[in-house]
Amino acid sequence: MANNKKRINLNALITCVFIVAFLLISGCVESKEEATTNELTIGISTDVNNWYLSQFPDGDGRFVWSQIYETLVRLDTDLNIEPGLAESWETPDGGKTWIFHLREKVYFHDGTPLNADAVVFSYSNESCVKKMGTLRALNSVEAVNDTTVKFILAKPMSLPFYLTHVAWPVMSPSCVDGSGNFISPIGTGPFKFEKQVTDQEIVLVRNDNYWGEKPAIDSVIFKVIPEATTRVMALETKEIDMAIKLPEYDVSRLEEEDGIEVYRKLSTFTDFLQFNCNNGVFEDKEVRTAVAYAIDTEEMVDTVLEGIGVAAKGRAFSPIMMYSNPDLKLYESDIDKAKQILAQDGWSDSDNDGVLDKDGNPLTITLIVGKGEWASRHISIAEAIQGSLQEIGMNVDIQVLESAAITSLENKGDFDMLLRTGYFVWGPYPRHFLVHQSTSPYSHYNNSEYDALANAADSTVDAAEQQELYYQLQEMVLEELPAFYLVHEEKIIATNSYVKGYEITAEDPWLNLNGIYIEKEQ
Amino acid sequence: MLKYISKRIFLVLFVLLGVTIITFCTMHFAPGDPEEVIAIARYGEDLTQEQIEWVKVTEGFDAPIYAQYLKWLNHVLHLDLGQSLVTSENVLKEITTRFPATMILAFSSLIISLTIAIPAGIISAIKKNTIIGQFFMTGSLIGVSIPNFWLGLLLIWLFALTLHLLPSYGYGGLSHLILPALTLGTSMAAITTRLTRSSMLDVLSQEYIVAAKAKGLDNRTIILKHALKNAMLPIITFAGMQLGFLLGGSVIVETIFAWPGIGKLLVDSIYARDFSMVQGCVLVIGVTFALTNLAVDITYAFLDPRIRYE
Repeated sequence: MANNKKRINLNALITCVFIVAFLLISGCVESKEEATTNELTIGISTDVNNWYLSQFPDGDGRFVWSQIYETLVRLDTDLNIEPGLAESWETPDGGKTWIFHLREKVYFHDGTPLNADAVVFSYSNESCVKKMGTLRALNSVEAVNDTTVKFILAKPMSLPFYLTHVAWPVMSPSCVDGSGNFISPIGTGPFKFEKQVTDQEIVLVRNDNYWGEKPAIDSVIFKVIPEATTRVMALETKEIDMAIKLPEYDVSRLEEEDGIEVYRKLSTFTDFLQFNCNNGVFEDKEVRTAVAYAIDTEEMVDTVLEGIGVAAKGRAFSPIMMYSNPDLKLYESDIDKAKQILAQDGWSDSDNDGVLDKDGNPLTITLIVGKGEWASRHISIAEAIQGSLQEIGMNVDIQVLESAAITSLENKGDFDMLLRTGYFVWGPYPRHFLVHQSTSPYSHYNNSEYDALANAADSTVDAAEQQELYYQLQEMVLEELPAFYLVHEEKIIATNSYVKGYEITAEDPWLNLNGIYIEKEQ
Repeated sequence: MLKYISKRIFLVLFVLLGVTIITFCTMHFAPGDPEEVIAIARYGEDLTQEQIEWVKVTEGFDAPIYAQYLKWLNHVLHLDLGQSLVTSENVLKEITTRFPATMILAFSSLIISLTIAIPAGIISAIKKNTIIGQFFMTGSLIGVSIPNFWLGLLLIWLFALTLHLLPSYGYGGLSHLILPALTLGTSMAAITTRLTRSSMLDVLSQEYIVAAKAKGLDNRTIILKHALKNAMLPIITFAGMQLGFLLGGSVIVETIFAWPGIGKLLVDSIYARDFSMVQGCVLVIGVTFALTNLAVDITYAFLDPRIRYE
């Protein structure tokens, strides 16, 4: 009998504990909101795994990096190039040597001055930039004097564009100890690193010695909230003040909501459908052209992406980018034309199963979509493509795979189409075209004329000449279709209305908190 | 008893050896070159082939698989789980900073689950052909069918956004624990309720219960003392397994509630082909799983005197 009572009492006790807990908590939450002072809380999707230049900051790490570290050259909110830590630069020999003059009286967060040695340190062999293909031509970086640095390249390149990259900033040599082990992040940026709690938060405080306009807020707290829907709800409950990377389907609802501001800006990212031009049905340019006519990217933006983004209709460069060609003849969707092209190419539905065939081979193709950051967006785009291509008698088999599996299929050439987003498009610099160059590991297209043109564009410094070459490349991509470009992405950031003075940047990885302040009615 | 426990612990070592070997092989036979994935994670998308080769050599991916495994095992025997291949952080440190969060969530969801399931199971067994019984069974059917991610988001919407009672995400005080624990707990409770019910029905139909009734014992004593204790065995087994799984972390709930647990760490590491991190997580999860099972087996002896381990 005694035993029974104990068990019942235990249940009752647990219930009581939870009821009391509920009551206590309702008190706690209230008091927490009032405590918010002059700090900005931002919801991001991943923690910062790396703070040092030896590795690339992955995930949302770049948003945090761009508060602490600064680059030699910067981009304004519309991607125009402007001085950063370098006040001016010049090339005496048409792009092979670049001389940067550093801004004076700039100090790192630990009080050490910014000088040429720090720049040399930041672009040493340790740094990830030396391990990447992007700046493979960078031979050496030398200090000319205390405030002048010389970059020497193997071939002429528009180096200042590349140095706007937030992943290659200038770090203080005091970031590491005597034996080269990383201690803590020390940069010149408007905020200083304060603390990090794994997978939870990163706290930054204002750098009162900042050389530029000092921030109006005292601190920035980045909260790690992986799930986008949770980020949106945390914004609505005012637990966070700003949410980065929001899903398209939440935007129209948030825009109508009182007390929330949604900021949108056309970014440099473009989704594209890459064809395997070396193997399978897409070796035939006619089939690629039929696909380009069959897909209605305008409808894709309106229905799948809730009207957010701009239909690319095959255009590789987002219109906001410097060398985007305004006079391209884009693909207007035309199902009949697509059908006609395929029919002329010898495809017909001889067995009446709804799928075209030629020489006994059905027109069944695989479309690979990656798991990861872009997954949900890409899966819905892929389904829209599947629907459009079905109309012209193509049977599309969508495969959602993790990145390692995709790399493996890519290396074997065992796929027909790949859905990607232009990862290589940083700022205005046009390196993206190298993705279709036959030597690139991501290329599935082989055309020596294209290779030569892309190389020439990447090795030119003269702006007019550059523009001409990139215009030609864009025309060629439309004509030859190594990939069909789908949607120019819009970057989405939402804040509570009491966050004022925010200006959204076109450049995706850069989070600009200049001039931002909090106006809370108490 | 002590002999039994030490024998079990000895066997656990072999289980762990097996588990880590299988994980190691599966990771290696999964499609894609680990060196390429790791190089991309470290240095970004735009890589050179030389860089990938360099990662392959420095991380020892060019050695045969058994040699790679033995190298890892040798380090483990020296109590060194190594460093993450992607972030260079100490694996043991990465796991131990996240393990408390996983443990708290696991135990509290188990408590919630049992607090709901056992009374609900008993009641639906006693009142099996009544509206109350049907109500509990329908409830548990709904509970089994609701996916965790949906329930989690719904709870945030209700308690954080609409009622302003609880925080919507994060890790910290008790208030942060309630929603994730409730999400996991209720979905587990659904299954346990059904199990408790069938186990109770089983016991209640046995002859000694009839004898107890004939003896004139009141219903309460029969159910709570004589029936429940015998019906508990399968429930304890099941709860033990659930706890084992929970201690391995729950990716979905951790992701939705931004709960810094071990489940998301493991899954992210698998995608990143971070071998040392995956092996470390599997080892730790394996140990906790084995220990939980051992604890369950020992509980048997206390619940049922017929079971004695010699």
